Amino acid sequence: MFDLNALMISLGLLADPLTITLLVVGIVLGIMIGILPGLGPPIAIALALPFTFYMETIPSMILLLGIYSAAIYGGSISAIAVGIPGTGAAIATVQDGHKMFKAGRGGEALGFSLTGSIIGGLFSVVCLVVISPLLASLAVKFGPREYLAISVFGLIVVVRVAGKSLPKGLLMGTLGIFLTTWGLDELNGTERFTFGTYHLYEGLPLVPFLVGVFAVSEVLIGSERALQKTRFNMESLKVKLPGLKTLVGLKDVILRSSIIGTIIGIIPGEGAAVGAFFAYSEAKRRSRNPEAYGTGIPEGIIAPETANNATVGGALVPTLTLGVPGSPAAAVLLGALLIQGLTPGPKLFSDRPDLMYAIFIGLFVINILMMFIGLVAIRFAARLIMVPTSVIVPTVLLLSFVGIYSVSYSFFNVGVLLGAGILGYVVRKLGYSIAPLSIGFVLGPILENSLRQSLTIADGSFFEFFNTPIGLTIYAILVLTILWGPIISRFRRSSTKV
Amino acid sequence: MLSQRIANTVFAVLVILVSFYFAWIAEGFEASGLLASSGLPSKFFPQLILGTIIACAIITCYLYGIKGEAGGDAGETVFGNAGDARRGILMLIVSVVCYLTWRNFGFIPMAILLGPLSLLAMGIKQPYIYATVWVLTGCVYLVFTYLLGIHLV
Repeated sequence: MFDLNALMISLGLLADPLTITLLVVGIVLGIMIGILPGLGPPIAIALALPFTFYMETIPSMILLLGIYSAAIYGGSISAIAVGIPGTGAAIATVQDGHKMFKAGRGGEALGFSLTGSIIGGLFSVVCLVVISPLLASLAVKFGPREYLAISVFGLIVVVRVAGKSLPKGLLMGTLGIFLTTWGLDELNGTERFTFGTYHLYEGLPLVPFLVGVFAVSEVLIGSERALQKTRFNMESLKVKLPGLKTLVGLKDVILRSSIIGTIIGIIPGEGAAVGAFFAYSEAKRRSRNPEAYGTGIPEGIIAPETANNATVGGALVPTLTLGVPGSPAAAVLLGALLIQGLTPGPKLFSDRPDLMYAIFIGLFVINILMMFIGLVAIRFAARLIMVPTSVIVPTVLLLSFVGIYSVSYSFFNVGVLLGAGILGYVVRKLGYSIAPLSIGFVLGPILENSLRQSLTIADGSFFEFFNTPIGLTIYAILVLTILWGPIISRFRRSSTKV
Repeated sequence: MLSQRIANTVFAVLVILVSFYFAWIAEGFEASGLLASSGLPSKFFPQLILGTIIACAIITCYLYGIKGEAGGDAGETVFGNAGDARRGILMLIVSVVCYLTWRNFGFIPMAILLGPLSLLAMGIKQPYIYATVWVLTGCVYLVFTYLLGIHLV
C-alpha cells in the first residue's frame, strides 16, 4: 500500500512555492470568511472553487483544505468576540467564550479556541491517515449492494441528525435525490425531466447547485439582517496561549472531544456543528462542576473547538474512500475533486497515491501553520467582524455569479445557481435543514445506480440486498445508529437547556 | 406575520401536487435503442423517490394540521418582522433581475446594477457603503478578467 515514489512526488509538489503560498492564503482566507457571520466552510470552499479550475490538483486541494480547516476555527473568533458565531460549528463556543471575553479574558478564550482547534485537527488527521487506506482497501471489494447500503446509511444518518423533524429532514434528502434523476438515464439513455432542453441532458450540475444552496441562500437570509450593527472591544483580542500545565489539566476533555469530533465527522451529517454540541454536552455531563459551564470556563471553549476541527479529518474519510461526503463542506470539496477530473472512491488511493499523501501531509502542515497564522492575524482578521452585512451580501452574490459562470461560460449554470439559491432560501425559512438536500444531491446517482444494479443482480428480490456480509454489517450499524438517535436527541435537548 | 404552521402546510401541499405532476411525467419515459429493455424501467427510481417525497409531505401536513408544529416550531413565524420580510424578498427579486440583466444586456450593466439595487433592497442609505460595494465589484471584475483570464460578457 505504501508508495515511496508517490510520497516523494507529493512532498516535491507540497514544497513548491506556489503550493506553500496557496496553503497560507487558504488559511488566511478561511479565518477571514469563518469570522464573517453566516459564511461557513461550505460557502468559503464554494467561493474559492472558481480559482482552482486553472490549478493543478494538489495545489488546489491544499488551498481548499486550508480554507476548510481555518474557516471552522475562524467561526470561534466572532463567537468569542461578539457572541455571534461565525459558523454553525461555533454556536456551542458562544456561551463560555463570550462570557470570558466580557470578563476581560478574551485573549485567554481565543488561546483556548486556537489550541483546541489545532489539537482536534491534528488528531483527526492521524485518524484519517490510519483509517482511510484501510477503508479504501476494503471498499475496492464493494459492489452495487454494498454501495447501496452505504448510500442508504449516509442518507438516513444525515436526515436523523440534520433537523428537529424527521419527516422534514427526509423530505429534503429525497428532494435532493429526486433532482439528480433529471437528465439522461445513465443506464439506458432515456430522457428524464429534460423539458426539451439539451442543457439538462447531463442533469443539474453539482457545483452550481451546491453553491446556490449554501451561498446564495445565505446571501438572501443575510439581506434580512443587513441593518444590524456589531460593536466589540478590540483590546481583549490579544491571544494568550494556555500553558502546558493547563493543557494537561484539560487532557481528558481534549481527548474525548477529539474522538467525538472525529467519529461525528466520519458519519455523514452536519459534521462540525453536531460534533461541537456533542462534545460540549459530554464535557458538561462528565464534569464535577457542570453548573460552571456557561459562566465562562476554558472547558466550555476547548471541548467544542477541539471537536469541530476534529470533524475535518473525520469527514474526509468517507469522502475520499467512498465518495460519500461526511459533511456539507466535504460535499463541496467532493465537487472540487470532480471538477479536477477525479472520482472520489477507493480507486483514488491506487490511481492518485500522490494526491492522498499530499492531502494527509498538507492537513498536518495546515493545522500547525494555523497556530502561527492565528496568533499573528487574529487582531487584524477580527476587524472583519465590523464589515457590514450590506457590503457582504452583494459581493458574495456577484462572486457566486461570476465564479459559476467562469466554470463553463454557461448562463444555464448561473440559472441553476440562482434556482438552487431560491430553493435553499425558501426551505431554510420554513425550518428545513439544507444538509440533507445537499447530501441527497451528492448521493442520488450512487443510490439510483446501485439500487437498480442490485435489483437486476438479485432478479427483483429485495432480500438479496442483505445477502452480503459487508452490506449486512453496514445495515446493522445503521440500525444501531437509529437506536442511537434518541440519545443524540437527549444530548441536543440538554445542550439547548445549557 | 406568516406563521410556520400555515407556510409549511401550504409548502407541503405544493410539494405533493408538484410531485404528482412529476410522477405523471415519469410515466411517459420511454427508452430507445439496444438498451431499451435492459434492467429496470427509467421511471422506477424517480417514482419511488417521488412516492417517498409525497409520503413525507403528507406526514408534515398531518403534523402541522393536528399538532400545529413539526420539530418544535409552534408559534414561530417565517420572518422576524415585516422589515426582514421586505428586505429578503426584495433581495430575491434583485438577484433574479440581475441574472436576467446579465443574460439580456451583458455583464457590465449587471455588475453596475447589482450593488446599488441590493443596497436599496436592504434599505441602506450611507453613500460610503454604495461606494465600497462599487469598488469591490470593480475588483471582482478586474481579478476575473485580468488575473484569471475569464471573458465576462
